[in-house]
Formats: sequence, structure tokens, C-alpha cells
Amino acid sequence: MRWELTRFSPGGLNAPRRARILAFGLALAGALLEIAAAAVGVLAPAGAVFSLPFGVELFSWTVRLNPLSCYFNLALGILAAAVSIYSFGYLRDMEGRRNLGVLGFFYNVLLLSLTLVFTAANVFFFLVAWEVMALSAYFLVSFEHEKEATRRAGTVFLIMSHAGTGLLLVGFLILAQAAGTLDFAAFHHLASKLPPSQQGLVFILFFLGFGVKAGVIPLHVWLPAAHPVAPSNISSLMSGIVIKTGIYGMALVFFDFFDAPPVWAGMVVLCAGVVSALLGVLYALMEHDLKRLLAYHSIENIGIILIGFGAALVFRGMGHPELAALALIAALYHTLNHAIFKGLLFLGAGSVLHSTRTRNMEEMGGLIRRMPVTALCFLVGAVAISGLPPLNGFVSEWLTYQALLAGFGSTAELTRVAFPIAGALLALTAALAAACFVKAFGISFLALPRSEHAAQAQEAPVSMRIGMGILAAGCLALGLGATWFLPVFDTITAQTIGVKMGASLTAANGLVLTSGTFRGGAVSTVGMAAMLVLLSAIPGMFWLAWGRRSRRASGPTWDCGLPGLTADNEYTATGFSKPIRMIFSALYRPRREIQADYEVSLYYPTAIRFESEIEPAFEKHFYDPLQAWLFRFAGRMRSVQAGSIHAYLAYIFVALIALLLFGVRG
Amino acid sequence: MDFLHNPEFGDKLVTLMAAFVLVFQIAMVGQRSLIMNIRLFGAQSFLLAAIAAVIAHYNHAPHIYVAAVMTVLVKVILVPVLLERLVDRIEIRHEIEPIVNVPLSIVISGGLTLVAYIVGESFYHPETGAASLGHNTLAVAISVFLIGFFMMINRRKALTQVFALLTLENGIFLAAICLTYGMPLVVDLGVFFDVLVAVLVLGILVYRIRETFESMDVSKLRRLRG
Repeated sequence: MRWELTRFSPGGLNAPRRARILAFGLALAGALLEIAAAAVGVLAPAGAVFSLPFGVELFSWTVRLNPLSCYFNLALGILAAAVSIYSFGYLRDMEGRRNLGVLGFFYNVLLLSLTLVFTAANVFFFLVAWEVMALSAYFLVSFEHEKEATRRAGTVFLIMSHAGTGLLLVGFLILAQAAGTLDFAAFHHLASKLPPSQQGLVFILFFLGFGVKAGVIPLHVWLPAAHPVAPSNISSLMSGIVIKTGIYGMALVFFDFFDAPPVWAGMVVLCAGVVSALLGVLYALMEHDLKRLLAYHSIENIGIILIGFGAALVFRGMGHPELAALALIAALYHTLNHAIFKGLLFLGAGSVLHSTRTRNMEEMGGLIRRMPVTALCFLVGAVAISGLPPLNGFVSEWLTYQALLAGFGSTAELTRVAFPIAGALLALTAALAAACFVKAFGISFLALPRSEHAAQAQEAPVSMRIGMGILAAGCLALGLGATWFLPVFDTITAQTIGVKMGASLTAANGLVLTSGTFRGGAVSTVGMAAMLVLLSAIPGMFWLAWGRRSRRASGPTWDCGLPGLTADNEYTATGFSKPIRMIFSALYRPRREIQADYEVSLYYPTAIRFESEIEPAFEKHFYDPLQAWLFRFAGRMRSVQAGSIHAYLAYIFVALIALLLFGVRG
Repeated sequence: MDFLHNPEFGDKLVTLMAAFVLVFQIAMVGQRSLIMNIRLFGAQSFLLAAIAAVIAHYNHAPHIYVAAVMTVLVKVILVPVLLERLVDRIEIRHEIEPIVNVPLSIVISGGLTLVAYIVGESFYHPETGAASLGHNTLAVAISVFLIGFFMMINRRKALTQVFALLTLENGIFLAAICLTYGMPLVVDLGVFFDVLVAVLVLGILVYRIRETFESMDVSKLRRLRG
């Protein structure tokens, strides 16, 4: 059978190769169709609802296309298209060594389940898609299962994911009980009609449940473990879009199921966002594993999105729909932007890993000469994630600031103090993120190679470069074309909040972005880009005017009188982040150990060993005690599980009698 | 021969026989001989068939006759014969060893009967004019069910648990027949088939347990625990 399959394979492809091309080719086709469908759905919403024919009364397989779900599908489609192209080249050298058929299968299942999560129209279908997504993501994360760290990360992901789903289930059941149906259409603004205590409960359940998937601190611990160990194309998808399902879920609950949630709920989201953003970037700064660093940045960016969400919720609670729409647009814009630039960065990290076989930044260096395209794409992603103009990250963060600044003037109550504080911490976050990417880019790509692998690195194959190029172009387009893109949000804000902001966010000439609020700012990414080009022309003109007559001399790099600089003289990632480790030592609680071997004198050591690590605060002070408690509890519960039929029968019997008597009473 | 057509007489007859069903059930709790237990079960099932026939007669529901005949065939003849053959084959003649001793078991059975009457009382609404047949009989049915369950817990050997399960099933049958005056025939047939399959499967299981553990004591299954 196997022989025949090989013999009649199209184009003489062998099985692994066929699996790779078929799986990712079809995924690419699907992603392109998805982009088209989602674009139509966002621009011209028809509110379509489709049902598959084999559902039963309560459990129907129904999808609906509203602007919000189409918007998330758009992000999914763009990222999936780029990642699918990238995967052709990325997986080529895995052929024959690994089962690419399995990888391709779960990849496609993941894409399908993501699409369904974003479009499911009832609780049953949503949870099915949600679980399929979690499981396929689990299998993808555990793809390199022969490594202990991978298996552990997969298990942690699976456990936390299911705990989150449990919370969601309870939340959905409360709503379903009130609605009398499982249909999302019946949940519209339903939560706000519940009694206040139940409102709070529903809010908390959904926030925690979706927060696990989104990676909100302190529910984030699975994320920096799971994202790095997956194959890089999968990491890109996980960080780019899988964690966004948590954001979609929150948007669905906060802006569809709730009419206007209580103000304190918005404050909770805002605080969680600030904490996630700041701690995410602080932990990212301490990482030397390129992919773990990126994973912590995902937490940071989820925090930024939540700041927008939280502000939008507070504004809604206080009755400022325009401001709420502004904050929501900022959050959703950042969601798409993060999908694109984080996807790009993970693909770039994947190229580096593909070429150097290491994720440790201390063993890289000098890659810009050997992998120029990868380096350029990574740089674009780094500039975007640092929130620097004129790229897309800047636009969404700028909109978030505008919303926060406008928030201070929106009310006279004390709650308004929260806005400038959040804004200041967001600014700190952005600055630290920029520092972190100076480190990530500088240590990995600049200077001299620090290892043999890095010295022999080669540029990534064409398909990988195309995949990264698409996303880099996306970063540029969403930055420069922000004023043309913003009207897209009209249908979404009309659906969720009931106002349209698109027109008021663009100034008259269509090139300038305004916040549309009283005393708000204005900015033009196109103008800044133009200025950048013009300013860079000035040195050229100077050179044209005077430089041609002067003599050019080239000499060695300044070496402080020690000729012959080697990679050992370079700045290391650990060294670079030292000042920040010292400033925030109260948080990090760094531990370091220096061992010096010397023979003659203390001042002439023969070898120095340096070890430094920071304390994983959440694992140590929350998850480890929780785990210990769970094990103790389980150990006690074990005696219930006696293995005796009589005991089991007795349990049933006692429960039965208790229920009978309870039934008689009630 | 007027009483043959008087429903009230039928009710009294059913209540009387139901009382005997309960007596047999408690007798089974007290009886330690395995063979005697099987015969008591046969007698109880026969009374059940009689109750079904009486209800069929007085309520003019001929399909319940079928249920009655099936009960006689399956529970009075087939199952006891199967069980006795099983007892013969695995050569056990010694007595049942309950976990709780016999006097205490009977006291507990009394307590369970009390619980059953409390539960049954809540279904009794004479003011609504609903059939009063359910009143005493339902309570008896629930007691039979609960005592059957208790017997399952109280006995060590897999075989003795099998017919504790069978008496429990008798309780369910009684409840069904006195509340609904006979379920649709399909349901009855299903239940009988179920009982038959249960006895066969459990019979095989008992045999295997004995072969594996050299004993029928299910407490030894504890060893399977990881």
C-alpha cells in the first residue's frame, strides 16, 4: 500500500514532502479566502448566520458573521497566510526526521478551530471550537515531545487552559439560565439585566477564563513556557492569534453580553492591563532566550490591549460612548498590530533558530551580515513593537494614550486619577520595550559572532523571507495607512457601542490622525515618514556640498589600546540588562554567584564562572504553594477512592437517600 | 363473585401482596443460606407477577398480562435456575457473610422502610383524587429498592451482590407498575432483557473473579488499585 502511494504520488513527491506542500498550500488557500470573506464582513456587514444541517435543538452548529468576528478573522487570515508561506521553507529540513503530516494536520485543525471560535453563534459550538483549539494547540506545542521541557510546557498549557474553560463554562451557564437558551443572540446585553452580585460574578468568571488564554498576569505562566518550545511557525501563530481568542472572548462578553458593565469592572481590567504590560516587559528584559523574550512581550502587549479595553469599559460605565469607542478602537487596532508584528518577530526568531540552531542570544551576534533580509524584517518588527513612528505599533499606542489622556477630563470623580497613572506606566512600558529590543536586535544581529554556529549562519530560504516580508509590509502599511484603515472600525464600534468614530479620527486632508476629542492631539505617520526621508537626505547634501573635496580615511574600530577585538569583548545581553536588573531588584530579587579560580594571586584569576538568575515571583509565591496544596488535598481525597466496591456503592446509596429526602423537603 | 369486578378489592389485594414482597425482602436480608436466598427471590418475583396480573385484571390493561407472564418466565424460572446452576458449578455451599451482622441489618432495613414511607408520603395527594393505589405500594417499592441497595453494600461475595441487584430491580418494577398501571410493552421487554443480560454478564464476571482471585470476595478487588 505504501509502495503504491509513493509510486502514484503527483509529481514524484515523496510522502513527507507531499504532506508539507499539501497541508500548508491548502492552509494558504484557506487563509486567502478567509481574508477576502472577513474583509467583506467588516466593510459591509450583512449579519449573516449559517447553520450546519446536523444540529439538534439546543446544540446547533451555527456560525454568525458580525463585524467584530470578521475583524478577528481578518487578523487570523493575514497571519495564517504569511505563516503558511513561511512554513514551506521552515519545515523543509525536518522532512524525513519528523512527521510533518501530523504537524500539518494539527496546523489546519488549529486554523479551522480559530475561525470557528471567532464566528460561533452559540455556547455549545463556541466551547467545542474552543476546546478543539486548545487541544490542537497542545499537540502543536508538544510537537518536539522528546524534550522534557516541551512536555512540561505542554502539560502546564493544557491544565491551565482547561481550568480557564471551566470558569467560562460556569459563566456561560449563568447566562444561559437567565436567557433560557444557549444562543449568543439572546445574550445580547443580557448580563447587565442580572442582579449586581451576579453581574460581578459573571464578569470575574469570564475575565479569568479568557484571561488564562490571553496570558494576563498572574495567569500567564503557561505562556513563556509554551511559546518558545513550539516550532517557530507555530509560536508565531500562538502568540499572534491564539492568545487573541482571549481578547475576542472579552470583547464579546464586555461589549455584547454586557450593555455597560459596572465601572469597577473596567477598573479591574485597566489595572490588570497595566500590571501585565509593565511586568511583561520587565520579565522580557531579563530573558536571553530570544523566543522566551518574545513570549514575555506578548504578555506586555496583551496588557496594552487590556488598558484600552479597561478604559473603554470605564467610559461606557460613565456614559461617554465616543471615548469608549476611541479606547476600543485603540485596543482592537493594537490586537491586529500585535498579531502582525509579533508574528513577524517570531518568524524572524525562527529564521535565526533555523540557521544557528540556538535560541540563546549570547551565542548569536553578527547575523546582520549573514542574514540581511531576516535582520531587516526583525528590525521592522522591533521598531513596530517598540511603538516608534511611523509603524503600526506607534499608531495604536498613540490612540491608547489619547484615550487615557482624554479620560482625565471626562469626569470629576476620583477615578479619573487612574488614567494619567495608567498613561505614565504605559509610557514606561513602551520605553522599556524599546530598551529590550535594542538589546534583542543589538546582541543578536550586530557586532561579531559569539559562536561557531552564528559565524556560519546562512540566510533563510526564499519562502521564509517572503513570509516575513508580507508581515513587515503589513507593519508599514498599517502605520502609514492608519488614516485609511481607521474607518474599518466604524462597523465594529457601531455594533458594540453604537457610535461611529472613523470620520472624526481623520483630519481634513486625510493624512493626519486626530484623537477626535476635546483638546486632543494630532499626528501624522505619513508626515513623520516623509520627514525621516527628508532628514536623512541632509547628511547626503552636506556630503555633496563639502564632502567630495575632503579625504576619506578608514581605520580599525576604537579598541582602547588593545588591538585585535574578539567576540569576548562584546557587550552581552546579561551585561546590557544589568542596570535595569539593579533598578528593579526589589521585583527581580536577583541571585548571582561568582566563582573565580586563581593560582597565584587573587588579581590574576585563571577562570571565572558567573551565574545569575532572577526569582520567578509568581511561580514561587503563588503557583508552587497552590500546587503543593492541591497535591496535599488530592492525597487526602485519595482515601475516598478506596478501591472497594462496597465503599463506592455506599457513596451512591448515601447520596441517593440524601437526594430523596432533599426532594421530599423541597 | 362481585369482588372480581370491584376495584377497591383489587387495591386491597395489591397492597396485601406488596406487603408480602416487603416481608420477603427483609427475609432475604436475614437469611444467610445462598440457595434459600435464591428461592426467596423467586417467590418475591412470583408475587410481583401476581400483582401485575391483578392490576391488569382490575384496570382492564391486557398488555400488563404480558409483563406478568414475562416476569414468571424470566424471574421466577429462568434467573433462579441460572443462579442455582452457577452456585452448583462454582461449588459454594457455605453461608453468606454480611459485613454488618444480621440483627443490625434488619434494624437498618426497618429504618430504610421508614425513609421510603416518608418519601412515598409526598407523592400521596388524596384531595386531588389521584389513584390511591400508589400510596402504600409505592412506599413498599421504594423500601424494596433501598433494602436491595443496602444488601448490595452489605454483602461481600459477587454472587450475593448479583441478586441483591435483582431484588433492587424488583423494587423498580413494582414502582413502575403501580404508578403507571403498566408501562408500554416495549419498555417492559427492554427491562426484562436487561435483567437477563445482567445476570449472564455478572455470572461470567463472578466466575472470572473467582478464577483470578481464588475467591469471590470483591473486597480483594482492592488489589487492582494503582
